[in-house]
Amino acid sequence: MMKRKWLLIAVVALAVAATLPAQAKKPTEVKFWTLFTGGDGEFFDAMIAAYNASQSDVVMKNDTVKFTDYYTKLTAALAARTAPDVVVCHASNLVNYVPNNVFVPLDSYIKKAGVNLSDFEAAPLAGCTFDGKLYALPLDVHPLIMYYNKDLLKKAGIAQVPTTYAEVLADAKLVQEKTGAIGIACDDTTATYKAYTFTRVFMSYLKQQGKTILTADNTKANFNNEAGAKAYQLICDMVNKDGVTPKGLDYDSSVADFKLGKAAFHFNGVWATGSFEGQKDLDFGAVQFPAAFGTNAAWTDSHTFAVPVQKKLDQQKVLAAIKFMDWMTSHGEMWAKAGHIPTRKSVVAKAEFQNLAHRKDYAAAVKYVFTPPATPKWAQIYDLTSDCLEAAVAKNVDANTALADMEQKVNAILAR
Amino acid sequence: MSKRRLFDILIALLLVLWIAPTIWLGVTSLKSEKNVVTDHLSLFSSTPTLANYSKAFGSTEIARWLLNSVIVSVVSTILTLVIDSMIAYALARIPFRGSSALFIFVLAGMMVPFEALIIQLYLEFNALGLINTFAAIVLPRLAMPIGVFILTQFFKEIPLALEEAAYIDGADRWTIFTSIVIPNGKSALVTVMILSFINAWNDFLWPLVVASDSVKYTITVGIANFQGTHGTEYSLIMAGAVVASLPLIVLFLAFRDQIVKGIALTGMKD
Amino acid sequence: MRHNHNARDALLFSLPFLIVYLAFLVLPIFYGIYLSFFDWNILSGKRFIGFLNYLDAFKDDKFLSSLLHTCEFVLISTPTIIVAGFLMALIVMSSSKLRRGAETVFFMPYILSITVVGTLWSWIFQGSFGILNQTLLALGLRTVGWLTDPKTAMWSIACATVWWTAGFNMILFTAGIKQIPDDVYEAAKLDGAGYFTTLVKITLPMLRNTSLLVLILQVIASFKVFGQSYVMTGGGPYGSTRVLVQYIYETGFTYFRMGYASAMSILLFLIILFVSIFQFAAVKGEGK
Repeated sequence: MMKRKWLLIAVVALAVAATLPAQAKKPTEVKFWTLFTGGDGEFFDAMIAAYNASQSDVVMKNDTVKFTDYYTKLTAALAARTAPDVVVCHASNLVNYVPNNVFVPLDSYIKKAGVNLSDFEAAPLAGCTFDGKLYALPLDVHPLIMYYNKDLLKKAGIAQVPTTYAEVLADAKLVQEKTGAIGIACDDTTATYKAYTFTRVFMSYLKQQGKTILTADNTKANFNNEAGAKAYQLICDMVNKDGVTPKGLDYDSSVADFKLGKAAFHFNGVWATGSFEGQKDLDFGAVQFPAAFGTNAAWTDSHTFAVPVQKKLDQQKVLAAIKFMDWMTSHGEMWAKAGHIPTRKSVVAKAEFQNLAHRKDYAAAVKYVFTPPATPKWAQIYDLTSDCLEAAVAKNVDANTALADMEQKVNAILAR
Repeated sequence: MSKRRLFDILIALLLVLWIAPTIWLGVTSLKSEKNVVTDHLSLFSSTPTLANYSKAFGSTEIARWLLNSVIVSVVSTILTLVIDSMIAYALARIPFRGSSALFIFVLAGMMVPFEALIIQLYLEFNALGLINTFAAIVLPRLAMPIGVFILTQFFKEIPLALEEAAYIDGADRWTIFTSIVIPNGKSALVTVMILSFINAWNDFLWPLVVASDSVKYTITVGIANFQGTHGTEYSLIMAGAVVASLPLIVLFLAFRDQIVKGIALTGMKD
Repeated sequence: MRHNHNARDALLFSLPFLIVYLAFLVLPIFYGIYLSFFDWNILSGKRFIGFLNYLDAFKDDKFLSSLLHTCEFVLISTPTIIVAGFLMALIVMSSSKLRRGAETVFFMPYILSITVVGTLWSWIFQGSFGILNQTLLALGLRTVGWLTDPKTAMWSIACATVWWTAGFNMILFTAGIKQIPDDVYEAAKLDGAGYFTTLVKITLPMLRNTSLLVLILQVIASFKVFGQSYVMTGGGPYGSTRVLVQYIYETGFTYFRMGYASAMSILLFLIILFVSIFQFAAVKGEGK
């Protein structure tokens, strides 16, 4: 009897021992949400596939949501603590989430995971820091730049790429005259995409004169002044007096016009590079946004990764998320294929990145970029200024009237 | 030319005009992205391609999404028909105090835009532990006020004599409901079935918000992602739209006769 | 004995619907009413502010302009969609050989989802590459900023909406016409009444209830417009087609002011309710 019992135990023990290796660590599944669809989405998905293939500890499972509805879904999930393990969030939008304690402060995990923070560029990292704590890791920086059509410039007899706005304007007029193409394709009308470009350009011109669109403490509008008037006038003249930008041009048309070689210059973010590269007969270049007042400055935003607060904190998952974020940012040259500028110095130094056409031409612009004001009211102000500028330029309103109106509305939002 | 002939020609022209956008949807989906902006007027691209469709089916979980849509729509429709017809019978045939008030109460539900209820619904389903489930996708749309409206009006039309006879024979309300009202109300039920199916199939914002994993997405949610973050690829989006709409169109064409007959008998007399 | 059973039966038959309705439509609406008295950014605590949100709305020119744009849309689209539906019904009830095909063609767009319709018509109306402008160019005419010119944007949205939903009204009108007894028409024919006389003196009056149903449903639907305009114009150019539901949605989810968004949706609800009651009373009153 006793012998049988011991035999049974021995058999069971052996059986368990035999199965143990098979129960060796299953990869941790880390879920996350992104808003990268279309061209961006393809590059991003490729990176995730590469990450999953490169190691077997963590499997990243990505769910994409179209950008117009992404934040609706994210906000609802964060409110209910049902958000996934990692999410993408624009740096300019962090201010709506971080103060509400829905993202995990990452400092301790970053130390544990051994992420080399000094490899990151200072500015994008600063945009992810609140009250001295790091709440996100920046994946890219995507500023406003200028694209130009090499063929059209050649046809108009322009030998040198213009660097100041005055030069750009003169060249644009020349190309228009000589070839009939559009001088500057800059979207000035809302359609499927909102006409944010005007606000971005306005902010850039302001910053070039040393002014920010809101006061430093984000309590009042700061553009109804000489600097603002000059900035506005350049934009208004571009469409009206100088006539180098057609009226009623929406974002999709603006991009399509440049892509089909119908425009000499194009103001847009770096994200359009990938799409233009796909156009075989388009010989284009990309440089930083032109200086209109002697100094360089351009609007930028950045995509960051953040970790939502969950009902129950799972340290393993957070660490896995950090490792993923580390890998993605240090392989930023793959993301740069979509046109975005990497945030890590080691990536910029890589041959793969240096060999990508155009990116290094505007990567230097990173030194001169600035981000939107970090106030929860920014989203509302952004929409408002875009509407106001769009309307004022379309109706060719004079600078003083336009800015006074915009200032009054912006202050009303800030005062609430 | 006789007046009749002229009339027919005009109608034919109108029909061609009316179906043109749908045709254009299909045509655009067959163009390559490069040609979409250059082949503006050509009805058939010089190089028609199925590339957009293979992109749609290849890189995504589109088959899964279609299946989800079918499940959600079928379940939704059946349940809606059951609950809507029951309350419609009560409103149409059972005299009780508060009948009008109840009717208005039900109708009022149509007057709040759904977008204003998303957060409340999400938190509610979170409390119920139903986030990211089919139940969550289906439940909010089950009570369809417009269905109640249509069914109530129609049930009122069914000759009272039929019910009275059964009543005198001792049948209870449930028997009358199932053996007289439902069979005689088939046409209105078909109408509500179609409306309910279309609404469930085309529901977008709520399934988007409540389904955390893309494996639970319905087809409308899935194809929305063909809209790029930084640019519109028209032909791909059209291809996605065709894939999402085709099942419904096929169903409609297949059951057209029933639908036509059904809707034709929906009475609106007072 | 009977009346006892009536109340009980009514309750039992209504219960399944009421449970779902109360739980998933009424409860969120009441929760929304509750929220409208607070300042809430969705992610943190609420702050009670009484009727401040409602007062803010009346001072907010974006609310007022959005409401105005919604009303514009209601006024442009309602008569058009109703009349279109009615004309379609007449075609379908005529003796033309095309009537069955017509029924299919007219109803087909209703099957498409709002996003598909919005995207399709965005493409048709697209300024540089849409088929309408390309046709105009080919004919040597000037292009039109269908969605980018404030004079035409709202009409373009309405146009897409008519194409999308007129078929539904056609269905309701067709049903109503089929209800009219044949002998009424025969009597009219014997009296020598022509097509238009019959239409005006017999068909229209007998369609009073159907028309009321169509009118109420159409107005409610038009007041809630959002999807098509959001996709086609994004509320542009410069906010000139921003409808109230878009503003409510953005206020809640882009500007994180859920309390204010809830207050505005309650205001919209009240407007729709009053308009519906008014319509009902006006049309019913005329009948007497």
